[in-house]
Amino acid sequence: MRTKTPAQERRDKIVYGVLAVGIFVGFWYAVTKLTDFGQIFPDPITIIANIGDKFINPIGKATLTGHILVSLRRVMLAFTVAAASGIVIGVTMGWYPVVEAVFKPVIEFLRPIPPIAWIPISILWYGFTEMSKYFLIFLASFFVVAISVYSGVKSVDPMLIRAAKMLGAKDNQLFTSIIIPSTVPYIFSGLQVALGNSWASIVAAEMVQSNEGVGWIIITGQQSSNMIQIVTGIVCIAVVGMLLVMIMRGLENKLCAWNKQGR
Amino acid sequence: MKKKRKNLWIVSTITIVAILVLWWLVTDKLGIFTSNTLPSPIKIVRTFIKKLSDPNPDGATLFKHLLSSLKIVLSGYLLGVVIGVPLGIIMAWYEKADLMVRPVFDMIRTVPGIAWVPVMVVFFGIGFTSKAVVIFIGAVVANVINAYSGIKQTKQVHLWVGGTFGASNWQLLTRIALPSAFPMIINGLRISLGGAWTTIVAAELLASNKGIGYMIQQARGILRPDIIIVGMVVIGAVGTLLMLPIELAEKKFMKGGKW
Repeated sequence: MRTKTPAQERRDKIVYGVLAVGIFVGFWYAVTKLTDFGQIFPDPITIIANIGDKFINPIGKATLTGHILVSLRRVMLAFTVAAASGIVIGVTMGWYPVVEAVFKPVIEFLRPIPPIAWIPISILWYGFTEMSKYFLIFLASFFVVAISVYSGVKSVDPMLIRAAKMLGAKDNQLFTSIIIPSTVPYIFSGLQVALGNSWASIVAAEMVQSNEGVGWIIITGQQSSNMIQIVTGIVCIAVVGMLLVMIMRGLENKLCAWNKQGR
Repeated sequence: MKKKRKNLWIVSTITIVAILVLWWLVTDKLGIFTSNTLPSPIKIVRTFIKKLSDPNPDGATLFKHLLSSLKIVLSGYLLGVVIGVPLGIIMAWYEKADLMVRPVFDMIRTVPGIAWVPVMVVFFGIGFTSKAVVIFIGAVVANVINAYSGIKQTKQVHLWVGGTFGASNWQLLTRIALPSAFPMIINGLRISLGGAWTTIVAAELLASNKGIGYMIQQARGILRPDIIIVGMVVIGAVGTLLMLPIELAEKKFMKGGKW
């Protein structure tokens, strides 16, 4: 059916991608210029100019870079702690039935509550401190990672375990050479989802209560009916979110190359 | 083996009871946490029962809040499904549409649903429409992406076989591609419903005058953590219940998770 070479296909993708985004932006420009929509919504050129401007001139008390770094610091600190503890809990839950029996009901009870629903109580407990944000991001990441790793350990091929045992592997050998390698893809898929969750949650948390960060940009934009600032914030959130996903995916490809080749 | 399972059940039960007792000890019994920070489990149950019929302090009973949230979620979500799934299928089936529409979708999907709230509030105010539109955007994106990847995962060999036996393009789509895409489409329905439920809570925290998210936000303002926790548990439970119809459909139409 297809006679295109991979290189051609990639070129097609880039050409059409640029074209599609170009048409989208052109359409956006035309609508704002030609209809009344332009009175409530800024055109793309204004937005790009504003983004450039805000890298130098501050919004509130920080420049765009400053706001992005504040949000990233909040996400990264809590995400790292949550990922580490999630992996540890997930692996032990998958391996020791007693640990599973202790943690599983608790996690299953708390997991359906969306992280965003924790915002009011986190503010009530920790006030407007950074801790309220860390707490939230921790919850947004921890359950996802723990459950993903747990199901990874659970789905290790029992044949491999039996084979290793038959060949005389000790428990810790079994662990390092079978359990961990087969769980790595699950760890990464958990981390991937958790990072996306965290980014969405920090935006929400900053919208509800904060005085800096990317969420703060859009909510103050709303309060002053400044659509340019809102859209600037949205573009930043999208770009940073996309970069986070790309970095995560790049890491996964580097570290799990063997997994891809094997399949 | 069987005996071991039973023992684990006991461990689970003991854990839960221990947590509840410890919780009760540090709150009601020893008073380490006052009811303004962490209410006791007994108080939470009482608040829950009271909130079923009492509109104070936030102006509506638990049911009314819940109903208001559900109405918004379901209207935005269903519209998103009705438009998103066919759009995803079309995008995957016609290559030209794919190359043109996909980059735009990849751009929009990176924006978390809640980030649209300020835009929509400026457009439509804080009522029903602004939130339904935010939910709709989230649902469309998730459903398009999943239906799209479902169709794309159709085994080329199956399509070739169909073509060899003289199936028309329409038959290839409905008899081969759609059934192979079904699990992914269901997955999209599930993910977008979870997303919709999260987004409505967020939207109501930010801009609303009723709804379950509004209720917990108000309770924070007047230092009533018992109402917040009741709200959180209800949010979790309703989120799980909403998934039930989808799980049932999946079990009914997909034998053993595969075709």
